Amino acid sequence: MSIAASARPEKGDIITAEHVSKVFGSGTQALRALVDVTFSVREGQFVTIVGPSGCGKSTLLLILAGLVPASSGRVLVDGQPVSGPSPEKISVMFQDAWLLPWKTAIENVEFPLTLRKVPAAVRRPRAMSLLDLVGLARSADRYPGELSGGMKQRVAIARCLVQEPRVLLMDEPFAALDEQNRTRMGNELLRIWERTGRTVVFVTHGLTEAIYLADRVFVMGVRPGRIIESFSVELPRPRSIDMIGSESFGRLRNRIWHLIGEERG
Amino acid sequence: MTAWLVRGVQLVLLASLAGLWETASRLGWVDPKLLPPLTQIVGVLFTLLQDDRFRGDLLITLGEIAAALAVVGPLGFAAGFFLGEHRALYRALSPALHLLLAIPKSIFLPIFIFAFGIGFLQKLVFAVTLAFFIVVLNGIAAAQSVPAGLVTAARSFGATRGQIYLRIYLPAMEPLILEGLRMALIFTITGVLLAEMYGAPRGIGRLIFAWGEMFRMPELFAGVLLIVAVTIAANELIRFIEDIRRSRRRGF
Repeated sequence: MSIAASARPEKGDIITAEHVSKVFGSGTQALRALVDVTFSVREGQFVTIVGPSGCGKSTLLLILAGLVPASSGRVLVDGQPVSGPSPEKISVMFQDAWLLPWKTAIENVEFPLTLRKVPAAVRRPRAMSLLDLVGLARSADRYPGELSGGMKQRVAIARCLVQEPRVLLMDEPFAALDEQNRTRMGNELLRIWERTGRTVVFVTHGLTEAIYLADRVFVMGVRPGRIIESFSVELPRPRSIDMIGSESFGRLRNRIWHLIGEERG
Repeated sequence: MTAWLVRGVQLVLLASLAGLWETASRLGWVDPKLLPPLTQIVGVLFTLLQDDRFRGDLLITLGEIAAALAVVGPLGFAAGFFLGEHRALYRALSPALHLLLAIPKSIFLPIFIFAFGIGFLQKLVFAVTLAFFIVVLNGIAAAQSVPAGLVTAARSFGATRGQIYLRIYLPAMEPLILEGLRMALIFTITGVLLAEMYGAPRGIGRLIFAWGEMFRMPELFAGVLLIVAVTIAANELIRFIEDIRRSRRRGF
């Protein structure tokens, strides 16, 4: 396992954070959620961001998505500075699928296109093929109230892909699922990632998940939130569950565990 | 209990009540001069409904209710929605709002008559005042019922402000809007009738009050029965719409 922390944006980097800081409040009550976060993600990579609670990883993701402004520093997506949501380039997924309860699964998937006034004849087949990709073609006309948590998240993945973004940002999307489902969804996600070739930035507080899924793992520290170190994961793809028991996996996991443990104090 | 069973039980209860009323009155368990038999009351109501003047009064009352609803609905809801979206302002005004809600407004009827007379306008203003605060509270609740995460998700795939209000807020608030409509209806009906009973040239409320003074119990009960029937019908209509809309959402 090699340690690599590239900071300067190079060709082929799809997302770059440059000295991103975020402060909430002001004066003596200011909370420094993020301090001087700098990193790059190569296009097509699957990177994970892992850290203890309160390290600001969710805030970082929201800033990368353009949903929350940075207090200082900037984020570049495909070379362009981010000033707001850019749905054609970036899609975001959260811990809650946030599907519209009054729309069916397929209507939810095509919703971003509905907003763009894409005609039904174009958006319906596209949405359908994405539902098929996530294995929910038969549930197209179900309402979110009739779907399980895992199914809802899969619909959310399909919805994220419908505008064919370059980057998928995911904020602990499987945290609400039980362990079996989480593992299954992780493998599902890897399968979809390999099929579609998007870049994925995946935030989690699960070490095993972070290493299992990723090409690179960014480890964040807390108080203030910042990136302490990053690791390349040299495991072969496609990943399989028994890799988790391997010695190299265990060693990397321990490294990161101690790193985070020191942070928590 | 299935829906049909519940409905069945309700109808049986209603029928039993009606039967009890009829029997008690006819057999003298209660003084029939005070509580006329139900069949007699229904007969009187039918006769009244043939009368042009009575129908005129009914139309006036319904007109006042409709007008009050048309004013207090949008006005109250907009005010409530605005407060719901601006937390700081809501926190500042909340104690005053709840205080004003708690004050029984009917005691101010003499002042309303003083200011607006006893015509259509006064009925309108009083009913609007009575219903206003409850609709505002409903508007606040509706605004706060929209999950922030839903709005964030919509923003993330590029929804404009207008699209968020139209396509996220409105559908999300629909259950509460329908509830608010029901409550506004109840309060405007109460307001109009109260104001009419207190003083009016025309209207069902005025008739009911007059009949009471003249001790014409069959007519009085006929009027009351009519109002009850209208209120229940309107209420059930909105409930029906709510049920249809809710079944579509399935688990929201």
